Amino acid sequence: MSVDNAAFRDFRESLERLGIDTPSEVISDEERVRRAKQTFMDKLDGRMAVDLTTCVHCGMCAEACHFYEATQDEKYAPVHKFEPLRRFYRRELSPMRWLFRPFTRDITAQDLETWQELVYDACTGCGRCDMMCPMGIRLSTLINVMRQGLASAGLVPAELQALQNEQRDSDTVFGVGAGKLREVIDRLGRQGIEIPLDKDQAEVLVLTTAVEVLLFSDALAATAKILNRLGADWTMLSQGFEAANIGLVSGDEVTQKRATAKIVEQAKACGARTVILPESGHAYQALRWEGANVLGEVLPFEVLAMSEFIAREIDAGRLKLKSPANGSSVTYHDPCRLGRHGGVIEQPRQVLKALGLDFREADSNGRENFCCGGGCGEYVIKRSAPLRQKAFEIKKREFDETGADTVITSCANCRINLMIGADNAGWQKPVESLVEKVAASLAE
Amino acid sequence: MTLLDFARGPALQWSLIILVFGVLWQLLGTILIGVKKDLSKPRRNTAVRDGLATIATRSLPEHQFEKKIRFQHFSGYAWHVALFIAVLFSAPHILFFESVLGFGWPHLPNGIILVTAAIALAILFALVIRRLSHPVQRLISNADDYISVIVVIVPLVTGMLASAHIGARYETLLAIHFLSVEALFVWFPFGKLMHTALTFPSRFRAGAAFGRRGVKA
Repeated sequence: MSVDNAAFRDFRESLERLGIDTPSEVISDEERVRRAKQTFMDKLDGRMAVDLTTCVHCGMCAEACHFYEATQDEKYAPVHKFEPLRRFYRRELSPMRWLFRPFTRDITAQDLETWQELVYDACTGCGRCDMMCPMGIRLSTLINVMRQGLASAGLVPAELQALQNEQRDSDTVFGVGAGKLREVIDRLGRQGIEIPLDKDQAEVLVLTTAVEVLLFSDALAATAKILNRLGADWTMLSQGFEAANIGLVSGDEVTQKRATAKIVEQAKACGARTVILPESGHAYQALRWEGANVLGEVLPFEVLAMSEFIAREIDAGRLKLKSPANGSSVTYHDPCRLGRHGGVIEQPRQVLKALGLDFREADSNGRENFCCGGGCGEYVIKRSAPLRQKAFEIKKREFDETGADTVITSCANCRINLMIGADNAGWQKPVESLVEKVAASLAE
Repeated sequence: MTLLDFARGPALQWSLIILVFGVLWQLLGTILIGVKKDLSKPRRNTAVRDGLATIATRSLPEHQFEKKIRFQHFSGYAWHVALFIAVLFSAPHILFFESVLGFGWPHLPNGIILVTAAIALAILFALVIRRLSHPVQRLISNADDYISVIVVIVPLVTGMLASAHIGARYETLLAIHFLSVEALFVWFPFGKLMHTALTFPSRFRAGAAFGRRGVKA
């Protein structure tokens, strides 16, 4: 249930080194602008056009943003984060472009460089602003197009770029390949936790993430315990286990598509009818909601988040839980891409209810939950650490207000970011995983 | 041709032509950009219900946001309600609509219309002051925001002056009022006033998109 402190320290140190040696592509200013514009043109659709035309500049979206809330700095207003995209739309794509063009300033390389900080360091794509806008504008999708434009212009921050390059070139993340996975599986095997690896055929394919392998192997062990208890026909695949999708968070569609395709190919090869994702918000979005779209084909299997799978099994009466002996109080942090973007909001609460815990809802929760502050790969960007820490204070205050002993979440990245924030702030409340909580409470 | 004849005749016709074709051009051009089919398996198939629900629910702020945006939200709605009352329930307006549509409806007393228009004007001024003074709104505002306010304020003011017979001959005031409304019609398709036509479609699409993922938007 606990995290190995030494492993956590090592991981934090590795984040400090991340991106230092990443070679930056030499691109002229003109080429950067050309590439960004081409991406904007490719990605803008009719829905976004309606959004860009409907905005009345009321600025209410700012009140939803944790970075604005934490700093009161107007540049963090979500609507400002896609300003170059709005200008591009008016000049190049709007039905009124013939009129707007002379009155609308063209985007420049300087604009793109300026917006890098706003789009990568100061937006986690959490989508809370989407819930606020009285016009119904989905600001997070527009900011995501900004990310994609900046990625094509070679303006991904070095740390994210390093991870993206690694996954694009070698299919690994944080250096975790098949060998490292086998090491962890062997270690867990010696503890009596069996994880079937590389079965030719299986009903269920289970994925994990490099972060789980490196830091949260207890979550992987918990997953195995639950599936074994259910008697599931399942496997992990050494050549297709990584659920993290750095392309999704960096904005690079080539990497996103490659990472998705690898999972889908493996799932098809082993005849999986269900793919269970580890506790990872962005991995859920990448496969469950964007997988079919980036590949251009309907996925031939169902995709479930771990918490979604557990809730279903409890609801069907197949998974029996006992209440923990100490009856501790807990609160739940909704990962944005699992909850607000993914629809997995009630399921983890059903699980917590089944566990019989003293569950205390934070002031912001579910579809209106505040982001952990480090989503969408932001927690690896070193220069944004002070900003993230300010956003963490919002979470800390809300968690403290619940009076709960423990924070539960179902995303390893949220967990890391909250742990880093807690570590920096000297805050002692444990941040634990839902799947681990369930595995510890399996009925005999 | 008097100024009033011009305002009621060719100016009105041309401004309406620009309004109608401009709005259609905007809508058609936006639709033609197209949207890719979402191939992910929906959590539920209730797009119409979810879209309609979001049209309704975005009219009031959520609990989490209410305390932060109370002024903007409710002043915005108060402004729209006051404007609609002044436009739709003024006796001269209803006579005009009757001449165009062939039917009319009961009007409100002139005094109430004047007070309502004054309230609308006051709210609009408060919103402009906020736009000029609030750091976020100042940063994100552009010429469109101010032009749109002007083309809405001027008909309100000229309408009130015409209604109260203050400042010039009634015919002159009426002509200026007509021309100011026509300026609004001409600007409408090109600026943020287009939100009048697009807010509900935008809300509907957001509701449907989140709804297929199982999220109430």
